[in-house]
Amino acid sequence: MFPVWEVPNIGSGWVIGLIAVLHVFISHFAIGGGAFLAFTEQLAYKKNDDRIYDYLKKHSKFFLLLTTVLGAMSGVGIWWAIGLASPNGTQTLLQNFSLFWAVEYVFFALELATFLAYYYTWDKLDRKTHLKLAWIYIGISYFTLFAINGILTFMLNSGGWDFTKGNIGDAFFNSSFWPALGLRMFIMMALAGIYAFFTLSREKTMDVDVKAYLLKYSAKWLLPAVILGPLFVIAYLFTLPEPTQQVIINGLSTIGVGNFSIMAKAIFMTLVFAVGLFGMVLAGPYLNPRAFNTSFAVMLLAAGFGFMFTEEWSREMMRKPYVVYNYMYSNGLRKFEIDKVNKDGFFNHHKFAGAELTTLKPNDELGKGQLMFRYQCTSCHTAKGNGYRSMKVMLATRDKDAIKNLLTMMKDNHIVDDKGVAKTMYHGYMPPVVGHQDEIDALATYLATLNSDPAKSTTAKVESSNS
Amino acid sequence: MSIPTLKNLNIVQTVVDWLDERVPLKAAVEFAGHKEVPVHKHSIWYYMGGIAALFMGIQFATGFLLMFHYVPTFEGAYASVQAINMQVPFGWLIRSMHSWGANVFILVLFIHMFSTYFMKAYRAPREFTWLSGLGLVGIAMVFGFTGYMLPMDEIAYFATKVGVDVAGESPFIGPYLAEFVRGGSEIGQVTMNRFFSLHVIALPLAMMGLFGLHATLIQLQGISEPESIQKLPKAERKYEKFFPDFFKKDVFVWFAVFVAFMLVVTMKPWGLGPQVDPAAMAPIGIKPEWYFLSQFQALKLFPAKILFFDGVHVAMVFIGTVFGSLAVVPILDSTGKIPFISKFATVYGVIFFIGWLFLTIWGSL
Repeated sequence: MFPVWEVPNIGSGWVIGLIAVLHVFISHFAIGGGAFLAFTEQLAYKKNDDRIYDYLKKHSKFFLLLTTVLGAMSGVGIWWAIGLASPNGTQTLLQNFSLFWAVEYVFFALELATFLAYYYTWDKLDRKTHLKLAWIYIGISYFTLFAINGILTFMLNSGGWDFTKGNIGDAFFNSSFWPALGLRMFIMMALAGIYAFFTLSREKTMDVDVKAYLLKYSAKWLLPAVILGPLFVIAYLFTLPEPTQQVIINGLSTIGVGNFSIMAKAIFMTLVFAVGLFGMVLAGPYLNPRAFNTSFAVMLLAAGFGFMFTEEWSREMMRKPYVVYNYMYSNGLRKFEIDKVNKDGFFNHHKFAGAELTTLKPNDELGKGQLMFRYQCTSCHTAKGNGYRSMKVMLATRDKDAIKNLLTMMKDNHIVDDKGVAKTMYHGYMPPVVGHQDEIDALATYLATLNSDPAKSTTAKVESSNS
Repeated sequence: MSIPTLKNLNIVQTVVDWLDERVPLKAAVEFAGHKEVPVHKHSIWYYMGGIAALFMGIQFATGFLLMFHYVPTFEGAYASVQAINMQVPFGWLIRSMHSWGANVFILVLFIHMFSTYFMKAYRAPREFTWLSGLGLVGIAMVFGFTGYMLPMDEIAYFATKVGVDVAGESPFIGPYLAEFVRGGSEIGQVTMNRFFSLHVIALPLAMMGLFGLHATLIQLQGISEPESIQKLPKAERKYEKFFPDFFKKDVFVWFAVFVAFMLVVTMKPWGLGPQVDPAAMAPIGIKPEWYFLSQFQALKLFPAKILFFDGVHVAMVFIGTVFGSLAVVPILDSTGKIPFISKFATVYGVIFFIGWLFLTIWGSL
């Protein structure tokens, strides 16, 4: 176990989320946009149109700067953020997929090298060879997706791999692998079109007919996502573990009556963004290419980003309460350790938390509770104010006893009986609270100080100082 | 009409021709195509009318759906809204769209109104277009006021009570107006009947009628250009056909705005406060909806007595005059040929806008 990185107001999860969505929005373009360059360059040769060829030169410059600068930086940013926010999860992924990561890095380096070669050889290589570089880039960049897709899907679908023996290939090629790969490929193609709208909108001197033709052509890059995307989404959902499917069904079935979860909101908004994007592309670059300008292109980029954001958010939400499905909870606790931690006590089990506990005064119930909160809750909750999943807001006016009862009940969040019935309503949504009863009582004491009711909050503080 | 053979059968064209013989479809499209939209750096403001029309449509559609489950009685309204929010499939979505939509609709109307004012689009021959637009803003605000009460939660009830009491302070007609709106001395079932029938029958009819006039006038007179563009030589001015060219851009913007709107509607669904207890004290710091805040704040600035007059009466006359001036000042500047009046209209508009914004923000604090 590692120390905890506490981020006020937004929580560490959102730091990862924001960097990751930015990265995904660019890295998907790095692959789909590569295919766009190759196919469009071939089109330019086929039509023998230098105007398309000239546009591609400029588009590839934009591509190079965006993907190799911001894309690569945000990629490093993800490692920085996940290493701090979820060190145990990162450790698990590194240990289990060392070979796949190594292959991914090799291909990433090749991807960069190939694109640099492609970009700097416009007009220097003969057309056939230059185009070959584009095809090689597609193959290499697509393989980076291939590698990362196995690891990403594994986090929600272990493919039967039990982390100790068996074939790691089963984990990598889990049943979600192919639907997710196809789905991402369609999204990449759609993003290639959306980014092309932007660079085309900046073309001030291009022949209007060529520009209109290219805008319509770019709009068609969204078609696979529109036609095949929904089928792959359904296929993907069917490959998810049954409890996750149940959480999704519960979320979506209660969306109708308004008691919907954040995950259901995210899925709903993904649909809204998808439909909105389709309508905007149809009314804009496809049906009215001559009136298309940069403002419209920026709106499409924003809608595309919104789609990516809600889609990735939905996927993350589906994984709750795990960071690695059925193995490690979002707070870094491994599922198989739960009984042992309950027996030994949380502070005896967790080295860093235990070390921090020794710095507190004896009988500092509040400090002990705050440590419990930091190590068990801050991966998903903020404490005060109106931050992300703020405990102050969620606990509202519950007093210490009510919180204690709630936490004691949540010790059994992981238990399911022989008939598959969960022991608590938080199963599938939250990890179990772990530790000795006195540790859980300390957590209740701390949480009661966050109470929205000042009178009860004071009571908790007084109790704490007396104890 | 020639009988199509299998060889030259074009289903779409055949259907269009069949329809055109019965409904003047092509003539309507041609009529729509007559209107031209100027293309210049201020063109963005031309989208506001279309966005307002989109939200008007959303309000009508969601309002219609809400009526399937809403019970317009003093006792039953709250429970029915609660059921819409929590039991009716997607009821929360329709209600959230309707409540957020009302606010966005009025906001867009304000933006449309101010942009039209500052582009001097009210000048001859468009005075009636301006006045009908002002009427639409007024109707939308009354829509908001009458709709606000219908859920019958605590805030809705007391904010309505405050609103009616304020209207009742108007000189001469105030008490009669308040009595008429309430249907008695207190807010009750009769008030609800009146608010509901206004909200779902009278106001929609008035809005549709006035909107029809507004849109027809725009179609007949075309879209105005700002002075700076009018001064340009004809060769330097650019235009595009409203239909289908600008209309496609309108549709693009509608989709974009709709997605942004749905984001708010979904992430912050419109809630429902505690049920009202009319016998209870009004909650402290009760305020009207944001679009009435400027008037509400202005009212508070007047002393109780001004010379021989009640301060509140003077305030009501003052506020009425200031808002009424939006109908008068543009008419004075309708020719645009008197530089002093033209300048005055601009300065007056700026002062009005800053004052309105300042009082609205102040009132919300």
